[in-house]
Amino acid sequence: MKKILGVVAAAGVVGLCVWVYVLTTNKITMGYNQGYMPDQPIPFEHKLHAGKLQIDCKYCHTSVEVTRHASIPSLNVCMNCHMVVKTDSPWIQKITEAYNSGKSIAWNKVHLLPDHVKFNHSMHIRAGKDCTTCHGNVAEMSKIYQNASLAMGWCVNCHRLPENHAPITCATCHY
Amino acid sequence: MDNTETQPTPTPKYWMSLEQWRKDPEFIKMAETEFLSSPLQSDDGQDGWARREFLKLMGASLALTTFGCVRRPAQKIIPYAKKPFDVIHGIPNYYASSSVDGHEGIGILVTTRDGRPIKIEGNPDHPANKGGMSVRAHSTILKLYDPDRFTSAKHNLQNKTRSNRETVNVKWEDLDKGVTEQLKKGKVALLMGTNLSPSTAALVEDFSSATGAKVYHYDDICYSGLAAGQKASYGSEVVPKYNLEQAKYIVAINNDFLGTWLTPIRFQREFGARRKANAEMNKLVVFEPLLTLTGSNADERYRIRPSQSLDVVMAILNEIVNVRKQSRFSGDANVQRTLGAFSKNQADLGFNVAEVAEQLWKNRGQSLVLTGGLSAGTEDEAALHAATNFLNSVLENDGKTIDGSGAPIAKGAKGQLGELLTALNAKEVNTLIIHGCNPIYSLPASSKFREALGNTEMVIYTGDRNDETGKLADYLAVDHHPLENWGDLESYEGVYSIQQPTIRPLYDTRAFQDSLLVWTKASGKASTRSKGAATWYDYLHTHWKDSIYSAHKGKSNAGSFDDFWIELLQVGVLNSGKASGGSRSLASNSLNDIKPAQRRSGFELALYPTIGLGDGSMANVPWLMEFPDPVTKITWENYASFSIKDAVQLKLREGQFVKLTVGDHSLEVPAHIQPGQADGVVGLAVGYGRVGGGKVTDGYGVNGFALAKMVNGKRVTAGLETRVETLSRSTKLACVQDHHSMEGRQIVIEETLQDHIKNPGGNVHRHKLTSMWSGHEYKGRKWGMTIDLNSCTGCGACMVACQSENNIPTVGKEYILTGREMYWIRVDRYYTGTPEEPGVVNQPVTCMHCDNAPCETVCPVAATTHSDEGTNDMIYNRCVGTRYCSNNCPYKVRRFNWFNYTQLQEPRNLALNPEVTQRFRGVMEKCTFCIHRIKFHTYRAKIEDKKLKDGDIKTACQQSCPTDAITFGDLNDPNSEVAKLFAAPSSYALLEELNTKPAVRYHVKVRNSDHLKDAPVHHGGKHAEAGEHS
Repeated sequence: MKKILGVVAAAGVVGLCVWVYVLTTNKITMGYNQGYMPDQPIPFEHKLHAGKLQIDCKYCHTSVEVTRHASIPSLNVCMNCHMVVKTDSPWIQKITEAYNSGKSIAWNKVHLLPDHVKFNHSMHIRAGKDCTTCHGNVAEMSKIYQNASLAMGWCVNCHRLPENHAPITCATCHY
Repeated sequence: MDNTETQPTPTPKYWMSLEQWRKDPEFIKMAETEFLSSPLQSDDGQDGWARREFLKLMGASLALTTFGCVRRPAQKIIPYAKKPFDVIHGIPNYYASSSVDGHEGIGILVTTRDGRPIKIEGNPDHPANKGGMSVRAHSTILKLYDPDRFTSAKHNLQNKTRSNRETVNVKWEDLDKGVTEQLKKGKVALLMGTNLSPSTAALVEDFSSATGAKVYHYDDICYSGLAAGQKASYGSEVVPKYNLEQAKYIVAINNDFLGTWLTPIRFQREFGARRKANAEMNKLVVFEPLLTLTGSNADERYRIRPSQSLDVVMAILNEIVNVRKQSRFSGDANVQRTLGAFSKNQADLGFNVAEVAEQLWKNRGQSLVLTGGLSAGTEDEAALHAATNFLNSVLENDGKTIDGSGAPIAKGAKGQLGELLTALNAKEVNTLIIHGCNPIYSLPASSKFREALGNTEMVIYTGDRNDETGKLADYLAVDHHPLENWGDLESYEGVYSIQQPTIRPLYDTRAFQDSLLVWTKASGKASTRSKGAATWYDYLHTHWKDSIYSAHKGKSNAGSFDDFWIELLQVGVLNSGKASGGSRSLASNSLNDIKPAQRRSGFELALYPTIGLGDGSMANVPWLMEFPDPVTKITWENYASFSIKDAVQLKLREGQFVKLTVGDHSLEVPAHIQPGQADGVVGLAVGYGRVGGGKVTDGYGVNGFALAKMVNGKRVTAGLETRVETLSRSTKLACVQDHHSMEGRQIVIEETLQDHIKNPGGNVHRHKLTSMWSGHEYKGRKWGMTIDLNSCTGCGACMVACQSENNIPTVGKEYILTGREMYWIRVDRYYTGTPEEPGVVNQPVTCMHCDNAPCETVCPVAATTHSDEGTNDMIYNRCVGTRYCSNNCPYKVRRFNWFNYTQLQEPRNLALNPEVTQRFRGVMEKCTFCIHRIKFHTYRAKIEDKKLKDGDIKTACQQSCPTDAITFGDLNDPNSEVAKLFAAPSSYALLEELNTKPAVRYHVKVRNSDHLKDAPVHHGGKHAEAGEHS
């Protein structure tokens, strides 16, 4: 038994060394998902809507000023325009069908915060932060991707700047 | 260790269990062990995994597993297709509604998030509870998400004896067809639990006149004895409204009004309102066989057997009427004769009858004598109520502290259960509809109710599962959960509230009222108001318009009924402010036929409902099964409780099985030795021992109702002669009390009222405190809490409120036994005085959020930290589970997740609060001061550009406390309520001498009594150095 445990322990030590090497040399950016750009069930273009058409972010992401969630728009928001706009597009028809059937569309989540973190959109908007500070220039993105690393160090670096007057106690985000 | 051996000295002055009082070596060993067991330890501790080996393996597996997880798993976001206007993701909606538990109807606010109810809170505008809640009211949310509910109507295929059972689904149309044809045969009976809904009452009336159905009334915990007593004394069968706020001197004789009797939330609130330490403070004198919550809060308490309840009332009456010649009945020869017959029984009651009688008479008009409940349900219960009514009328309480002008107990009912049994046996019932009660469970076999059902052609049950009664029914017309259904409520005369659905019905169920409406219409003889209503909602709406609104138009500012309706849905309550009915005329001959009962020599049975399970109807809710009884602190099962003297005589040990036999029926149940219980009494809780109640509850405990006895169609639940045999096998009762011994230090401080008025906080022993820490600086807010031990009754509503708010798991009996309960706030119960006649003090204990927090300094990974607002925070993702913090916490409030408890069976997960993190296996957790509420309200105030006011933020426990014992707020604001209470001289911190500087302070408990059960204790331990005293 002891012998087996010894072998296992040795393997553990070797594994740990490899792990530390991988981490410290940025061979793999552990879990940070920066640049993550999944395909969406409908190729919604922010470049068109936010860029060319200059639709305000808050037109669709309605609760960004009042709650911690910016919220993905419900289909009735899409239908405000697409009742009449571009109804010949098969993608719009797919939305219309989903809207009429009541079975909504499952979007792929891009910005996935680690567990146990609570990020509050409304407080950042109130502090005068622009959406692009974290999300990048969405108006230029034809397909949305994760712009910032969303790592804790990235959050804290900003919170620590004196001009931001941001709290840095743990329970600001972790509770 | 044998009970018979002499007590070693010295014994602690405050003690938590008999084991501690006796200084049982096993207890001492257990108290010394912080963690009762290790997950890796096997039973003998020999061949378990050693810690080092475990770490080695962990290291290897860590290295092997981390390579795989580069990307976190993809998640989906599914927005609404058509978002309802008022739903904003992240902001809860509150719906004013009503909740009913037996006779108690309260106003509630249902918190819904994204369209699903997640928590129930009290409606502060409802006059009955004013925001107060109970353990059971909180738990109705989990009854909604009970996985064992039937999801559609069912048809049980029965044979002649109703024993062949195959359950098939049935479509509602087919059920209606079957039922309608059957109803046309006539001889219909409807057996209903108490109905406090005026619209349902009207509908039942319509149904009754259309189908010729006779309505009978029965509750699993029934107050028909009380109502019958009112009828005998005053002429009408009402359940009176008791006004405890006006009562200065309360005598409760075998009556648990603070815990389980009639309307405990309202009683607690009113009792608490008069419990302020001043000259107007009420005094509570309790006579009882078992130690109940009411007895725990008594200023004076006497132990009696159930059969002696009547003797106590008669002794007091005799003293007032015969000895002191007071009241208008002093010359009545009949009364004198009746009372005289009882005088020989007075000698062994053991209380100063002259003193009690004098106080009652002195406070006449503002005193109150209460009696009744399962443990008072003796064969001569009618006499007990008659005598108590007589006493209250002698004391001029009727019309003042008692308002008997209300509606009858069961409006429109043909009779009680006894009459139904007669009708069943006479084959006068073809069809029986059972709603709102579970008679097969709560009636003893001697009632022959099961056999009587064989005389019917069809039984229809509205319950949501094949429980005891459901199994015998032909059709289960499964009712909605109240949170899915419309309804209304008349809590008491003139106080109406609305019940509105907060979620679309989860399953293919149908409201009982809709079923009645369909069947009424199908009979072809429906009244116009039934015909005009397409659904139950229509019926309700019209009933309000035509009856309630038109009668109370003046009370509302609304212009039209539609405006009024909208306003009602928002506020939830219509208080017509009806005045008390004045005193009623007493039938002076009501005492004439009362004679003393035969004395019993053996054990007397006393059945009682617990605060958690009550009648057992919500037994499948894990919160309630795990809720520790406020007195015994035992969870998950019931037990036969014995007094210490009886236990010594029977040579009983805690957990040893006994066989209780009443008549031909016997039960085998573990024994519990209960300090403060009367000798010669066996206590047994009902609500347990369900069959078909659901996966959570089945198999736990025994059905106490089985030992009841039917006498003349009435269920007798107390005073029955019981044979007790001890058995050799024993079990361990899952009790939470011994896990958190405070080792006899200054924990709960009591003062008498006189002392407190002269010198509040005089019994608090202050220490000279020095610190090695420089202390924190709080520039903004500093959160703090006070708990008034004088107001706290120990009911435990805070515990379940916290459980509901903070997603706290239940762990099951097995893990309660190993000390792994997860409550963030617990209520400790200490005994004072002697085990035979103990005093009881309760103390809610939560995380103290210490300024010098011992947990923070020992965490090796800084997972628990101090915030700049004074809260002690748990950072779950940093926690590696060393449990050092728990080791170093002097208050033992930290809880460890031994398992991944968050994997809940669907749909129970729908009740989770998304604002509070789900904790994973291996992390510590504890009270957060409801930090998510602090955040939510401070952010809301910022967004709305408002200043946060004192009282805007309420913690979950504070919010549901019926006596407002808990205050929370900003200590840096000198005008805040909590800051003022912090500075009050009677406030003290728990284990102040440790100088942890807690942000939670207590206020001393005041007894309205001449003396305390014990002299005040300071602390058990010796001071480290001389001169430490200030």
